[in-house]
Amino acid sequence: MSTPETNLSSAGAPMVDSPSVSGVARAAPLLGTLIMLVRRELWEHRALWLGPLAISALLVACAFAVHIGPVELSEHAGSDVQRRALFGLVQWGLTVPQYIVMLIILNFYLLDCLYAERKDRSILFWKSLPVSDATTVASKLLVAVVVVPLGVYLLAMVTNLLFSAIWLARASYGLLAPNASVWDTVVFLKVEALMLVGLFVSMLWYAPLAAYFLMISAWARRAVFLWAVLPPVIAILVEHLAFRTQYVAGLIEYRTTGIWQRTNMEQAANSAIAAGKHQIVSLAAFFDALNIREFLLNIDVWLGLAVALGFAFVAVRLRRYRDDT
Amino acid sequence: MKAAMTAVIEASGLRKSYGATRAVDSVSFEIQPGRIVGLIGPNGAGKTTLFKAILGLTDFEGDLRVLGRDPRSERNELMRDVCFIADVAVLPRWLRVSQALDFVAGVHPRFERSRATEFLRKTDIRMSARVRELSKGMVTQLHLALILANDARLLVLDEPTLGLDLLFRRQFYDTLLNDYFDKERTIVLTTHQVEEIENLLTDVIFVNRGRIVLDTPVDALPGRYVQLTVSAERAVQARQLKPFYEREVFGRVAMFFEGGDPQGLAAFAASGGELRTPTVADLFVAKMEGSLA
Repeated sequence: MSTPETNLSSAGAPMVDSPSVSGVARAAPLLGTLIMLVRRELWEHRALWLGPLAISALLVACAFAVHIGPVELSEHAGSDVQRRALFGLVQWGLTVPQYIVMLIILNFYLLDCLYAERKDRSILFWKSLPVSDATTVASKLLVAVVVVPLGVYLLAMVTNLLFSAIWLARASYGLLAPNASVWDTVVFLKVEALMLVGLFVSMLWYAPLAAYFLMISAWARRAVFLWAVLPPVIAILVEHLAFRTQYVAGLIEYRTTGIWQRTNMEQAANSAIAAGKHQIVSLAAFFDALNIREFLLNIDVWLGLAVALGFAFVAVRLRRYRDDT
Repeated sequence: MKAAMTAVIEASGLRKSYGATRAVDSVSFEIQPGRIVGLIGPNGAGKTTLFKAILGLTDFEGDLRVLGRDPRSERNELMRDVCFIADVAVLPRWLRVSQALDFVAGVHPRFERSRATEFLRKTDIRMSARVRELSKGMVTQLHLALILANDARLLVLDEPTLGLDLLFRRQFYDTLLNDYFDKERTIVLTTHQVEEIENLLTDVIFVNRGRIVLDTPVDALPGRYVQLTVSAERAVQARQLKPFYEREVFGRVAMFFEGGDPQGLAAFAASGGELRTPTVADLFVAKMEGSLA
């Protein structure tokens, strides 16, 4: 594409003639295009960031509203070890609503993003621009699997810091039980690291599911949600009626919740419980016991990614000749 | 080889079927740079399929080169040099005007933002407005602004003014002629309002039932087609000159001839008949109805 001639003419002084006369235009840089495409997704699907922001606002509001008296705490979190474990647990617990909402929003996003552009006929506008179907599909997968999860992770961390700051401030003014407001930097970092690892593991593990939704979104002419849900349900029913087996159901269960067996999470959880003196789970100990290597060496992770690539490829092919008709 | 390079669009033996229906049936044509070509045909004639083929939006059989590229395999490269408006309703409704400019500037190597903003300044369109808040005419203006700033070599318009009022339609074509078109650029367009654009076209291609019925420069029409209007009494005589189509207009009969006998026609003109080159619109009707008979 970039012959020496085109390079020369583009690097030279501004030309008087319009560039159209000089021949074929060069491509916009891929990274720039991808960033633009990601921004476009965030413009169109505002729930992707409005949802998490709203949850954060709610959580921060809770930091002001929640009241914990000294009596309630002393029973369960008397010792320093337990209070630190509790600190980590609260830090983790605060992110739970964040991730649940994110999952719901992402599922709807993935099912909608390649369908909406056909429904509102804007696909012909997007296709009038020099952006390939592969780049477009990649940008949507990138948004769902990387951009939004990482964004929510960072937002959850900021929310956590705000929450802690508010609690510490309230405790120092005597508005909260003093032992309710522990700050432990090591625990904080370990829990954040634990969640980042969990996020990374989830991205890899759930990529095929995301790509499957994307493919259905590119394929269905209506009722996208139904098309996404029906095939597995029907497969499970047919298998059950025909063979009395449950392989499909097992596979689906494995690809949705099996992830945690692949990361020795059970062992880690046991040692965490032990470290919490059988009362409060210490997430910091959880992190110490975690074995990410075992997960990355698991063939199912990479098979899953290969399947994800396959689904994404089909989505690209579908979008190639799909339009509003 | 050299000659082949100069054509903007080059189609030969283009075919496309939807099931048993042949939407495009062995169509061949060439479009040269610096032309404004009207692709005209009744509904279902295959215009839209042709457009989609040119823009790489559909698969087809046969050979098609657009700016020397195959739209099936080199679509992305092609879209740097080709612009199209498929329909007025095609801009996403959630998009803000400023976002539209940001986006196209971000992905299009040729986009000159200043040209688009300059054009938009002359309209009532606010930068912060969303497409859904704009009138149909304003959406078209916005789309036009994006295209003018793109500096594309080929502009393809499929019913670009559908649903617009006369003022917007006039303004649309005026802008195209004054701010976009030059001898390097090419416009291919379809519209149902043939009368309004026939002065603007340099070439017409009539399509019917997936085939090309007529493919000619507009300035070649006078030598080729003649419309003779005579009184009903003289029509029987005039019919002997073998018009390919005729229709009654206010009690007189308009007859359409291809080639024809110049002396014979002149004789009718001298004796009260009216002789002229048919308008593109009239010729279109004549060709379509004539081919049905």
